[in-house]
Formats: sequence, C-alpha cells, structure tokens
Amino acid sequence: MKRNDYLYLDHAATTPMRESAFEAFKNAEEFAYANSSGGHELSRRAKNLLEESRDFIASYFGAAPSEITFTSGGTEADNWVIKAPFMNSKNSQNLVTSKIEHEAVLASAEWLETQGQEVNYASCNKDGQVDVNEFLDKCNNDTAIASLMYANNETGVVQQIEKIAKEVKIKNPETLFHSDVVQAVSSEKLDFHKLGIDSAAVSGHKIGGPKGIGIMFLSSKYKLPNYFHGGKQELEKRAGTVNVSGVAGLAAALKEHQDNFDNEKKIILQEREIFENELKNALEVKIVGEKIDRLCHISNIQFKSVNSETLMVALDLKGLGVSRGSACASGAQKPSHVLVAMNVPDIDVNSHLRFSFGWNTKEGDGKYASEIVINTVKEIL
Amino acid sequence: MRILVAMSGGVDSSVVAGLLKSQGHDVIGVTMKLWEGPNGEMPETGCCTAADSEDARKVAAKLDIPYYVLDYTASFSDNVIDNFVDMYSQGLTPNPCVECNRSVKFDHFIDQAKKLNCEKVATGHYAKIVRNNDSLELHKADYLEKDQSYVLHMLTADKLSKIDFPLGTISKPEVRQIAASLGLKTAFKKDSQDICFVGKKDYRNFVSSRIDFSSSGNIVDKYDNIIGTHDGVHEFTVGQRKGIPGGQGQPKYVTKIDVKNNKVFIGSKADLTTKKFIIEDVSFVNGEEFENLSIQTRYNSHDIPCKLQKIDNFVYEIELDQPTLGVAPGQFGVIYNDTKLVGGGRISSKILENVNE
Repeated sequence: MKRNDYLYLDHAATTPMRESAFEAFKNAEEFAYANSSGGHELSRRAKNLLEESRDFIASYFGAAPSEITFTSGGTEADNWVIKAPFMNSKNSQNLVTSKIEHEAVLASAEWLETQGQEVNYASCNKDGQVDVNEFLDKCNNDTAIASLMYANNETGVVQQIEKIAKEVKIKNPETLFHSDVVQAVSSEKLDFHKLGIDSAAVSGHKIGGPKGIGIMFLSSKYKLPNYFHGGKQELEKRAGTVNVSGVAGLAAALKEHQDNFDNEKKIILQEREIFENELKNALEVKIVGEKIDRLCHISNIQFKSVNSETLMVALDLKGLGVSRGSACASGAQKPSHVLVAMNVPDIDVNSHLRFSFGWNTKEGDGKYASEIVINTVKEIL
Repeated sequence: MRILVAMSGGVDSSVVAGLLKSQGHDVIGVTMKLWEGPNGEMPETGCCTAADSEDARKVAAKLDIPYYVLDYTASFSDNVIDNFVDMYSQGLTPNPCVECNRSVKFDHFIDQAKKLNCEKVATGHYAKIVRNNDSLELHKADYLEKDQSYVLHMLTADKLSKIDFPLGTISKPEVRQIAASLGLKTAFKKDSQDICFVGKKDYRNFVSSRIDFSSSGNIVDKYDNIIGTHDGVHEFTVGQRKGIPGGQGQPKYVTKIDVKNNKVFIGSKADLTTKKFIIEDVSFVNGEEFENLSIQTRYNSHDIPCKLQKIDNFVYEIELDQPTLGVAPGQFGVIYNDTKLVGGGRISSKILENVNE
C-alpha cells in the first residue's frame, strides 16, 4: 500500500511527535538517562532536566511547579483524582460528573459505583453541552469531587468550565473540581488557576509530545492519597522511576506549541472550514456543534444514510485516516456514548465520523480530504 | 482483483487470504464481529473470540494486507439468533450456520464488499465453484471429509459470481501445510466445532435464557398415552435419546415435539424412520432438476438417492429410495446430482407426521 500520501486526520486520538520533542527525548536518553532520584553526577543531570522541564510546564499552565506531578498519561491522572479520594475509607461522600466524559473518567466513576460509592451523572443537550443547572443541582455538601471535561474528545464541544467551577465552589468550597483537559491543550491556552479548577489531567501525546507521559495538576490547596505505591519519587507523590526523557519531550513539544500557536491554529481553522464547507455543499451532512463553541481541530460529522463504519474503512483504503467512537479490544468500534447522551437517534448514531486536524496540518489538507470523502460517500450511498 | 476475505482467525480463512494475496489480488481482510457480551465485549468461548480476531489481525499483518474488525452484531442477532430461538420455540432443530451464511456472510457481507469496491468476497468454506459453459455451479469440495456445501445450499448462481471459495480443491492437511509455509501462526490451530454464539455451553441454557419454556408437560407415545413428564419442550430435539423415560428393552427416541400442546412424542427407532417429507423455502443454484438426485438431511450426513416433486412455489416433496433415520424438521434437505449441488430447503414439520403414520 502507498502510505506516503496517507493523510492523517485523527489527531484527537494521538499526534505525531514534534521534531523538537523527538530531539529532546533523544537527548535526555543520551545525556540524562540516569535515575533522577540517584545521588551521582548523571542523576543530577537527569534531575536538573526534570525540574527545568517542570518549571516551564508549570508556568505554561499558570501553576506552581509543586502542583505538577508527572504521570504515565491522562488516563492515570484521571484515575488518580477520581478514585483516590474514595480509597481510604468508605465514606458518604459522592462524585458528580457528566455522561460525556472520556472513558478514563467514566470508567473510573463506574468502578467507584461498583464499590458502593455514590456517583451522579449530569446529562447534556443535543449539541453536547452539559446542562449547567443539572450539574450544579447534583453537587451538594457531600460532593468530594466534581469532574467535568474542558471539551469533549469526540465532538470538540467546549463546556462552561470557568462558570461551573465557580458555582460549584460557591455551593461547596470543599469540593475538588477536576477537569480532564487532555483534548483542549492543543487548541486553547489554559491557565489552571484562572480557570478556577483544582486539578487537571494532561496528556503529552495529544500535543506532539511522546506517548507514556502526562501531567496531574493538583492545586496546592489539596492533597490526595497516593495512587501508586513504591519508591519516593516525585516529592513522594508518585512511585516509579520518573520518565525524564518523556518529560523533556513533553516540555519541548509544549514550547514548540507555544511558539507556533497562532500560526498553527490559523491553518487548522482555515482547513477545517474549507473541509466542512465543501462537504456541506456536496453532501447531506450535519456538523456537531457547528454553531457553538468547539475546539478548532475537531470536526464530528453526521453523514445521512451512511454507515460510518463502512465509510471509515473505505476512507482508509483511499489513504485517509479518521475515527469513529472509541475502539474496543477487538478493533471493532462501539457506538459512541457521547452521541447516545446527546440523544442522537439510533438510526444516526452509526453515521458519524470524527475528523481531527493537528499541528502538522498544512494548507490544502482540508480540500484534499473533502474530495476523498465526497467521492467515497457517493460511492457507498 | 480486489477481494474482501472473511477472516475468522482460523487456519482455513488465513490460508484463503494468503493464497489470494500470492495470486496477486488486492486482498482486504475482515473479521465479522457477530456476537458480543452485554458490555460489547467479544465472547470468550466458541468462535469469534477476541483471541480469534487477534489471530486474524496477526495473519493479516504477516501477509501485509489491510485488516478490519467490522460490527455485524445487529445483523447476526436479528437474523441468526432470533431465528435460532424461534425455531426451538417451535420444536424445530435449527441450523444457525445456514442462516448466518444466508443473511450475514453472503448478503450483508457481499453488500459491504461492493461498497468497498471489491469485486468478490472469499471465505474459507470447503466447497467448489465450477464454471460450466455460461453458468456457475456449486460443487462439493474435492476434500469430501470437510465438504461444507450443505451450509451453502442457498447460494444462487448470481451470488456465486461474487464469491470465491479457494479451498474447494485443497485438502485440510494441504491447507495446514500452506499456512505453515507462509509462516502463519494459525497453521496448527485447532478447528472450532461449536455453535459460535453458544460455545461450549449447552444450547438449552442459551435458549431458556431468552424464552421461558419452563412449563412442564407430558411425554406421550404415538397413541397419546402419557409415559412421563418433562420440564420444558426446549430440552428436546427430534431423534434425541438422552433423558427419555426408559422403555422395556427397546430404546426410545423423541419422534415429534408439539409445542402448542406442550407435548413430547416418543417412539421406537422405526417411528423415526422417514421415507417422504416436505422441504420449504426451496432455492436452486441454477433452476430445477429432477434426474439422478440424492439428498443430505443433515450437515455431513450421507447422500440418499431420492425423487423430487414440486408441490407449490418453493415447496417440494422428497421421496427417499430407502427410508432413513433422523430427518429433523428445521434442518435442511440439500439436493445433489453427484457432486453438484442442485438446491435445497428447510425440512417441514407438517407433512412429516403423515408420512410417519
């Protein structure tokens, strides 16, 4: 198969690593490969690189370095924040979240339920916006954690985090407000304290960094029980040899992202607009969240009367990589829980595809992708 | 030619993909996800397990062909599972593989292949498509031991033009040899025999989990004398011997199941012997034929010489040259002329009883 001219529009799943991230990762493995917790010259080098990276990453998100803990990725950070507060003892406290969270949050919440913990899920409207009043109504004096994603990974629809976080804190100042911001980092400039959130999950590979590295931001006002037990790495908060090369790669990716932010975002927006306009002119399509605030890199499209599983395969065979819902173990893809929560009728749930642009999207990609999609849809209709 | 290959993760379909690829075709591998657990997970037993699709993926990677797992669960549930349960609830003996071939593999799958610009679909079935002048014929596989033409009897010549059965001229040992020579990890994998969605569990549990048959009733002889009681008709199939109240010396068999009246009829071996019966929903590969016919009344049973007579549209009477045992309503009567498959249909419950008297 010709893979050279393959167009990748699945950046919401993961992104290719940026050149600077790759260099930083390689350099760290070459010159700072020692265990950052050790007591010798090479360890100090690793430790220095780790802390320099932490300083930069913390400042990028408006946080203090001590509020940043490195994890294996977004999933670990979500699991930690959602589960840890309930681990010490069975208590009467509850968790409030939404039906459209990423699986890392949703499955953690469902697991808590199996342990007898109370969890309440807020629903969303047909555009995929979580109902603010419903979310707030579910929060009460016993709410230990309120968790709401910044923007949805399937639709890109942005939630009113700042407003909800503020209201939740008014209702119960003790509640820890967590946000999975994994999908948003590539499209938005986020300042965690300004947003008013207490904790956040970030993933390195969604912004051109390496896989296997993520961040758990936790406001200095809070302490959480440890999730991993073992050595006393990461200020005794997270056991396990620190992935210094991953951290260095993530910091470099974030730096490149920061430097090119305006330019990259402009191209992404422009290409998505061309792509969506071409599709609207040629086909019967509906764009999720078209009229509301959504991340610039995601385009979730419903193709009328088209089985999106067949369409996804046909597009792949023509050299366009996109995705649909979330993959299960077998590789078959399940109907999206997000679309189900949005009350998309059964008949249309399997007609959606997600196209997602990224930092290496270039001029012409939108037009090129639209041509492939239009031709293919016409073939399989 | 672009060909969509149904890959179950077994050795047969692995070799099909390998052979077609080596012939220069543009091969795409697909595992049909037919059946799933309550949370959408792949089954752990039977065929179509997550481990099977993983094997198929590895074979596809080795052959360097595109590979997908596609969701056929709705189609399978509507056509195969519902039919399976419905047939049992009528006291019939279903053959889910036939239904699956009819509505899933050689209908929905062919349709999907067309949408993906594939000219043909290929499967690892042991059967042979033969071109005879202008027409396509379906024949038994050369390797008779594995012949699967019985479960493919519903295919018409029109469908055959969109299908390839590359294993029709190859023996099973050769298939394993080819798999080994291609370095495919499925080369020595055990064949699966179970009903895929029931697995190693008893099909009775499966059926009773879907429909409540639990009402007990009577076991009677052919004169309607009560011999014993049963806990639900789904526990029985025609020809069954296990679990029947013992006769004096002579073994007893289930001869008929009357769901409406919740009765199980039992009788001697002779009562199970059939000479004439009706087949319904009959289709022919290339139109009717009446000379030199024989019939199989179960998968992999012997060919019995027979005569065919048309009763109505899609309804035919079969007269066997020699009466035979175990003609079960719900199974299929598949008609051959030597190795050529002529057609077939479902064995009816209605007339069989008259023949018995």
